[in-house]
Amino acid sequence: MSKMSKEMIHLLGNYGHIGFTFVAAIFIGMGGGIYLDQKVFDDRTTPWFTFIGLAFGIAAGFKSLFDILKQQEKD
Amino acid sequence: MEHPILFISIILEKLGLPIPHGPVGNGLVEQLCAPYMTYTWFTMIFLAVVGKMTLGNLEMVPGKGQNFWEILIGGMENFFLENMGRELTDKLFPMIATFALYIAVGNLIGLIPGFMSPTSSINTTLALTIIVWITHHIIGFRANGFAYLKHFLGPMPILIPLMLPIELISNFARLLSLSIRLFGNIMAKETLLGILFMLAGAFFAPLPIMILGVLVSLVQAMVFVLLTVVYFTQSNEHAH
Repeated sequence: MSKMSKEMIHLLGNYGHIGFTFVAAIFIGMGGGIYLDQKVFDDRTTPWFTFIGLAFGIAAGFKSLFDILKQQEKD
Repeated sequence: MEHPILFISIILEKLGLPIPHGPVGNGLVEQLCAPYMTYTWFTMIFLAVVGKMTLGNLEMVPGKGQNFWEILIGGMENFFLENMGRELTDKLFPMIATFALYIAVGNLIGLIPGFMSPTSSINTTLALTIIVWITHHIIGFRANGFAYLKHFLGPMPILIPLMLPIELISNFARLLSLSIRLFGNIMAKETLLGILFMLAGAFFAPLPIMILGVLVSLVQAMVFVLLTVVYFTQSNEHAH
């Protein structure tokens, strides 16, 4: 395998999943919040855990972006 | 979106086995005869038979078939060695190499008319991803003991209530993103090919998408393997 294509694979692997990871983190955070609201607390706390979960999800998304950058710097 | 022709399903239907008309059937036999299952078995049989045929008797001076496998396996092992180190590569090479071959072949057979990619079903990709996800936690616990939990606690003790949910969410996001990326890419390719074949198959409309399909299939297999390697490496190293 030539140097060029190896570099290309590394870049694809490191940056190709940014979008999906970011979106997945937000979805999981918000899904967890909705689950807590509707199933665990029976709609008594309705908007709050959804918002908290959404906030944590967005934070996790940015954190995973940060991790990807750190990973790339290390190589 | 139904596939135009799936020859294994047709053969099974002629044999009198129930073929589900939705994505997944109700009964056990129907679920076993779902197209993604039958094509998974087809890919497995294909890999086993080709391996047996080309590597039946190993020789000192390799012939055509053995040469191909030596380049492929040697290249993969070098790649893993660069990224994971000797110990992890020796332990996990069979698993990751099997995933790589299975995903690559499974993606590529979808380009042949009459075949379908087993990876275009979320069940297959989610199964592969769950195996990888559980394995990377097992590796972490075996390498670091309970200190592995420090991976999830962030840099400072004060920040634990903030960092723990964030780390957990981003860890679960790996499960989702790894499976849905492979599934989405391959399913999009299959659906697009099906629609173009139906609309203008006589004018070779699916051909450009097939060329892109070869690229997408190989790149997605590589990305899956690379991310697997990265996750294993990350969980193997010490928390800082």
